[in-house]
Amino acid sequence: MSDPIHPRGAKPRHLTPGRIGLYAFLVFAAAFFLLPFYVMVVTSFKTMPEIQQGNIFSLPSKLTLAPWVTAWAKACTGVNCEGIRVGVLNSFKIMIPSTFLSILLGAINGYALSFWRPRGGNLIFAVLLMGAFIPYQVYLYPLVRMLSMVSLYNTLPGIIVVHVIFGMPVMTLLFRNYYAAVPVDLFKAARIDGGGFWTIFTRVMLPMSGPILVVAAILQVTGIWNDFLFGLIFAGRDHLPMTVELNNIVNTTTGTKAYNVNMAATILTAMVPLIVYFVSGRWFVRGIAAGAVKG
Amino acid sequence: MKPLRLRRLSAQAALIPTWVIVIFAYLGTILWTIRISFTSSGILPKYDFVGFEQYERLFRSARWIISVQNLAIFGVMFIVGCLVLGFLMAVFLDQRIKGEGIFRTIFLYPYAMSFIVTGLVWAWILNPTLGIQHAMHNWGWTSFSFDWLARGDRAIYMVGFAGIWQSAGLVMAILLAGLRGIDEDIWKAARVDGIPTWRVYISIVIPMMSGMFVTAIVLLAIAVVKVYDIVVAMTGGGPGISTEVPAKFVIDYLFNRQNIALATAAASVMFVAVLVVLGPWLYRQYFRKERRAA
Amino acid sequence: MNTVTKNRALAVVASAAFGLAGMQAQAADKAEVIHWWTSGGEHAAVMEFEKAFDAQGGDWVDAAVAGGGGDAARTDGINRIIGGNPPTAMQFNTGKQFDELVSNGLLRNLDPLAKEYGWKDKINPVLLNAVSVDGHMYAVPVDIHSNTWLWYSPEVLKKAGLEPPKTWDDLLTDLAALKKDGVIPLAQAGDAWTQVLTFYNVLITQGGKDLYMKIIKDHDVDAVKSPEFLKVAETFGKLRDYVDPGMQGRQWNQAIALVIDNKAGFNFMGDWAKGEIDVNKKVPGKDVGCIPGLGHQTYWVGGDVFVFPKVKSKAEQASQALLAKVLLEPKVQLAFNEKKGAVPVLKDVSSEGMDQCAQKGLALLKSGDYVPSSDILITPDMSGSIQDLVSAYFTDKSQTPQQFVDQFAAIIGG
Repeated sequence: MSDPIHPRGAKPRHLTPGRIGLYAFLVFAAAFFLLPFYVMVVTSFKTMPEIQQGNIFSLPSKLTLAPWVTAWAKACTGVNCEGIRVGVLNSFKIMIPSTFLSILLGAINGYALSFWRPRGGNLIFAVLLMGAFIPYQVYLYPLVRMLSMVSLYNTLPGIIVVHVIFGMPVMTLLFRNYYAAVPVDLFKAARIDGGGFWTIFTRVMLPMSGPILVVAAILQVTGIWNDFLFGLIFAGRDHLPMTVELNNIVNTTTGTKAYNVNMAATILTAMVPLIVYFVSGRWFVRGIAAGAVKG
Repeated sequence: MKPLRLRRLSAQAALIPTWVIVIFAYLGTILWTIRISFTSSGILPKYDFVGFEQYERLFRSARWIISVQNLAIFGVMFIVGCLVLGFLMAVFLDQRIKGEGIFRTIFLYPYAMSFIVTGLVWAWILNPTLGIQHAMHNWGWTSFSFDWLARGDRAIYMVGFAGIWQSAGLVMAILLAGLRGIDEDIWKAARVDGIPTWRVYISIVIPMMSGMFVTAIVLLAIAVVKVYDIVVAMTGGGPGISTEVPAKFVIDYLFNRQNIALATAAASVMFVAVLVVLGPWLYRQYFRKERRAA
Repeated sequence: MNTVTKNRALAVVASAAFGLAGMQAQAADKAEVIHWWTSGGEHAAVMEFEKAFDAQGGDWVDAAVAGGGGDAARTDGINRIIGGNPPTAMQFNTGKQFDELVSNGLLRNLDPLAKEYGWKDKINPVLLNAVSVDGHMYAVPVDIHSNTWLWYSPEVLKKAGLEPPKTWDDLLTDLAALKKDGVIPLAQAGDAWTQVLTFYNVLITQGGKDLYMKIIKDHDVDAVKSPEFLKVAETFGKLRDYVDPGMQGRQWNQAIALVIDNKAGFNFMGDWAKGEIDVNKKVPGKDVGCIPGLGHQTYWVGGDVFVFPKVKSKAEQASQALLAKVLLEPKVQLAFNEKKGAVPVLKDVSSEGMDQCAQKGLALLKSGDYVPSSDILITPDMSGSIQDLVSAYFTDKSQTPQQFVDQFAAIIGG
């Protein structure tokens, strides 16, 4: 293989009309995607009187950093005025184990269901798929009762369990479908070599799951980091995630809305997923499956 | 080789946590939801039995009917839009692009941001007196008119549009993962045979990526059935009730309107509808084909 | 064991386990309070409660949750009560929202406290009625808001050569004149609940108190089918002609801002709009005019209350009692309501220091010209159905007043 760490569709070319069209499409698409972001950024640097003038596309006439400072350290949620920084540590405490566990369970499920065909596997998959279509809010009441029974309600492990539960359908689906494209000969060869359930999983399957692990991480990091409802209901007072504060800042109904602070707070809270998206690139590599067969 | 049975045993053991979750969290809740939908519960569950009363009320409700119609419009537009745009972006990004990481992040960022705020920004941009129309008028194009968000018969399309903006990047990431999972040798072979690139995509790559497409479609379908935030942030269901959706119906009745019986009836209808509409397709995708011999 | 008893048994086990855990977690005199007052003015107001409570030996632990007009906070609180880990106190809107918690025996009966402090003689009777179930008091009301004000820009009216309206016909004439002048006649927000406020304003102040009570309290279908109500539907329908295309997507604060900035003539909104007027350094009643109802001037009594879930710990019960007492102290009531833009719940308060609009409201309260808000009279379920109908009618000009009346009758008739 010529260059395994670089992506490749068709054969590499130099600057041709086709390539120019390609970049033109990408730049145009990027501009479309960035338009709302532009509005958010300029709004976050404007003062409130300027925002109320109503020209949403104009650059700020007088740049102010105050909304950013307020969002991070001063915005009030009830009587506490400490901005969104308070919940950040809690958000990490919830996100890291939840993301890790839900991806691990999803990968095991997908692998077991694809290759081992365990008894009742179809039932598991069918129930998970169907369950994924019911609005989360319907689950709240029964889950509160169940977690209370096992003393997990309003605890850190409790909120992690909740995230693992709700991540399971999509994670299972993701890995099951990814492994469906893995040549079955690979699995057979590993079994002839005497590999057991866990050996094949850790030595063969996981190493070739790079791109799908990234997709899974994108889904879970974003979903769990931005979760508001479960954090509010299940985490308990000592572990409230940052989004509860974000919500308190953004979502007031009968008070003055500080749009500039809202925009700044939203961009700040999105930083963690954005960093994950950006650095995830190196795992988006091609051709590992082929290498595994040959290697 | 260990006996087959033993190996299967470790596969079964590995699925124990999954079984616990499936039985208690999913099956249990689904059954509970259906049970409550036959009661007269208000804000707290009451275990009486009133037959199909809640369902009758549900289907008499103009709002529910509009919600279901909107779901169909939004669903088709959203799924098709995300798949087409997401696939194009994935393929174009897969051409040894300079700055791939930056483009990828730009396409994905809408997914990272709370829609409560980005939805507000879209509402501004599409508002005739604030956004694009206003800007065009300021620049001298006074006949320019773009007021779909303010029109009851068209606002739902704008919601679909913002939905595509939010989720197309995710489809791009999933399909890109699929593209990157395809064996390099396929491309080499195609090149040797002189097959044009577009034909390779259509005849070889897309069929090979069917798993990733199914993943994307199921994820999008889940998002369609649960669509809520985007409507709340952009239109609040308005003008009037013209952009209401089923999940918003469920949530409004579950909390704000304190009628969990009607809410669970609506959730049960959604559940059954999913079963009827997606069930056969999912069944064909997953259960009928005996694709693998373990 | 049938389902009910089984669930009850589980609840007992759960609450036993959590009662213990709760006691350890909550040291003496800590009071965890769930509320949804998170905006600037609201924050300043709730600080008054905290200061007063802490000064008397309490320890306020704030558990604010914003969103959806209190939806998120109520979801959190109710789930915690069910899960056996209730907060010390929790906010609701004045009305029927907590009725079911009462009937399930989850809230503390406040009768002993009411007797000790003589609340039944001091609190406005409408509110006392609203917080009582079968004659027992289950919540402490803390403020009175009126949702039916008509705000106007004196400057816009002056420029157009118009007088502030006194009747609904005056208003319709003024609106037509403003429309001709190319000014936004009626600044209306796109959110359904704001359109419902506008509707109730027409119903109460054009249709009158009696019509409102007959329909909303007694669910009298004949009253809905009366010519008076048809007139209300027509007037409300005519307002559709005077809103601008920017209505959809506009929030209530942007709508009142149009009046404050003299870009629009009128706006229907509750008295919390004063917060926005203050923020813009203008004076309610002077820079922005306020009318507590055209035709029949009527005060629409709504507001907020606190409930106290049943708790096991004696120390926590003591802090509940202390908190309830503090919330209703005259000094605290005045300080809180001044910042909240509302009126105290106690009968004997002086109007000194209140702005012109609040004084108008207080005068109506004292003269008995008031009705309980629809939240007090009907269930959230029926409120919701009315909201769906009203906003659909208001945003679709093809619907006729008669159609509106028929659908309204169907909702009221059940």
